[in-house]
Amino acid sequence: MSDYEPKVVCFSCKFGWGYLTDEDKLSSKIDNWVPLICTGKIDATHVFDAFSAGADGVLVLGCPEGDCHYQDGNYEAKKRVYLIRRLLESVGIEKERVRIELSTDPKGESIPKLVAQMKKELAKLGPAKKDPVEKSKPNKAMKAVGGKQDG
Amino acid sequence: MWKTEATGVPHVEPAVRQCLPPCQIKCPINEDIQRTNVLISLLPDDPDLAKEGILQISDYLYDKNPFFNICGYICGLCELECNYLKKGGAIKRRLLKRFLSDVYTEHLRELGEFRTVKQKEKVAVIGGGPGGLMCAYHLGKKGYDVTIIEASDRLGGALWLVPDYRLPKDVLQTTVESLVRIAGIGVRYNNKLGAGGLTLERLKEEGFKAAFLATGLPYARVLTFERQSLEGQDLAGVMYGHTYLYEVSHNNIAADYFNGKRVIVTGGGNVAFDVARSARRQGGDVTVVALEREDKDHRDGIPADEEEVQGAWEEGIRIVYSRGVRKIIGQSGRFKGINCPTCVSVFDTEGFNPRFDCSDCMDLEGDVLIITVGQAPDRSMLQKEGLLDGQGRLDVDHLTLQSRSEPWVFVGGDVRRVGFMVEAMGEGLVVAESIDRYLRGVDMREGRRRDYEAYQIPLRRDYKREPRVPWMPPEDRMHFRIFERGFTLKEAIAEAGRCVTCGPCLSCKACVSIGFQKSLSPVEVDVTRCSGCGLCVYVCNYYSAHLVSSGAKIVSETDMFRCKSCGMCVAACPSQARTMVDDGTAERIAAVYSSLT
Repeated sequence: MSDYEPKVVCFSCKFGWGYLTDEDKLSSKIDNWVPLICTGKIDATHVFDAFSAGADGVLVLGCPEGDCHYQDGNYEAKKRVYLIRRLLESVGIEKERVRIELSTDPKGESIPKLVAQMKKELAKLGPAKKDPVEKSKPNKAMKAVGGKQDG
Repeated sequence: MWKTEATGVPHVEPAVRQCLPPCQIKCPINEDIQRTNVLISLLPDDPDLAKEGILQISDYLYDKNPFFNICGYICGLCELECNYLKKGGAIKRRLLKRFLSDVYTEHLRELGEFRTVKQKEKVAVIGGGPGGLMCAYHLGKKGYDVTIIEASDRLGGALWLVPDYRLPKDVLQTTVESLVRIAGIGVRYNNKLGAGGLTLERLKEEGFKAAFLATGLPYARVLTFERQSLEGQDLAGVMYGHTYLYEVSHNNIAADYFNGKRVIVTGGGNVAFDVARSARRQGGDVTVVALEREDKDHRDGIPADEEEVQGAWEEGIRIVYSRGVRKIIGQSGRFKGINCPTCVSVFDTEGFNPRFDCSDCMDLEGDVLIITVGQAPDRSMLQKEGLLDGQGRLDVDHLTLQSRSEPWVFVGGDVRRVGFMVEAMGEGLVVAESIDRYLRGVDMREGRRRDYEAYQIPLRRDYKREPRVPWMPPEDRMHFRIFERGFTLKEAIAEAGRCVTCGPCLSCKACVSIGFQKSLSPVEVDVTRCSGCGLCVYVCNYYSAHLVSSGAKIVSETDMFRCKSCGMCVAACPSQARTMVDDGTAERIAAVYSSLT
């Protein structure tokens, strides 16, 4: 267990995080990083798919409250993360595995640190339960948080 | 961005419909306000690092508007139409530009000249004010050989009359000097049209193929009552605001000139307030007498900017509203006071036509009267040059500003219609386009009429209040230095970030220009999946998503002119009917997820 390193997928908003640093340069410092134009764009399936694909945690970095370029995208994201956390708990995935932080860091230097910090906390939990979604028929619940269903 | 629609009205060019944010529509030169606001909001918070970005944004603004650093001091026209006005206060665009200006003005001296070779026709620009300079700059950029014929010994026109506490002289000087240098414009000073044998005909003989007449309003308008010029304007102690400001600008008036004197200023415009506040700074006990009412929203409301009235009031200037001047009272050749009837209405359906109630008069005593009721053009010159019609009005096409009697002559700026600096600049821009078309022999009118469509403010959970603009306290600002503190970098970033970017993305593309997005991705709706639930309508802050009937069912649609490609509707759609085309997000996510295993 000692050399276990949790895998964290990090979504971040381009208007709040790392826009003053070359994206490729930052990419090399942040594993599994998905910069987005707005965190309001993240839907529930993105998060569930991350766990299905083998992630142990998802970190969402949005703009400070009231500062979204698209008005309320960060608020939408925060709301969604709250619901996703409750949903994950209902299928046996610890809610600590999904986190959102509304702040800003134009140079993006803190992103690797925030990811490392989350990894450290997740290491205590151990690997995430794989594919709980299939067993628990979450479609109804996913719909409630704005997620997508197949077909 | 462009949509052409024929209006169907005879003799009217088909208007080009253009969607813009309301601030950019209000701006006579349609400055790219939204885009540059976004870019300012994304500057680094370290002043050294920010400098490069500030210069980049400024270069971009300067290319279209070589006066932007002056606008940053004296023009806030766009703020009057800002959607935020009623939601917490207009975005302080003027101060945002002043913030850029304070870095850029020094840099102007180092800016290189245009590399265009001046091989096109010779063009004369008569009058080196903001309108003339703007026109000259843009024609110079296009390769025309432009010469400014300036009546005085300095360029800038009426801008010199703006007191230093609003516009520092070094900013003005640097701006006009840099402009003619960068655009490679020749200047002939002390050349007045109509004097010393200088006529349009002579300019034509010299080989000028087109001329822009932008001679402004060089004369002060005299005080009248019921259309009759008032007696007593030649008394000692009576002067005109225009002349006074001219002398102030040349430092010809001592700092304590009005000490212990009661100064009465007649007029309610910004110039009257420039006069009143300057006289106050020179020691005067100042009273402004205006025809108009205090309530600016009223048809007869005072035309001066709210900030001017507020500033004057703070500085201890009395303002008497709704009063005219019926009589100038003198004693032994010296000014003694004025007799002021109540003004019951200023404008009627015909325009300016003040009416008075002479049963309600008051006498106002004073030592000095400064008449600031507007300026007048050089009518005799216009008459001699044959530019007036039978009614004595300038005979000019309103769309192209081309003279109807002298097709090679174009007329614009204050001489045509008194207005703000930027309105004259706007006409300069129009004439630059007209002269270029005229000399190339192409259609003068095609595609030039614009119908603008403004956007409402986007929905958001909370709107922020405007920041307070720090002015020096009145007792500390009785001098001619700038009393308004400009934004710090941090304040500028915050204020630019407060802009909710109501306009369409297509006219902005700030995010594309800095690589946040490769392009503006359209949102597509798969109508076979869409159930018409309306979640997308609910989540869209820009009124872009809406429901329409399609056959037997209701489906959602996206108005691409309003869509910001934020993707919130895509995330909200429960039936995967909405997708963003080519935005690269799905690919990026797929690549990351495939690397997890």
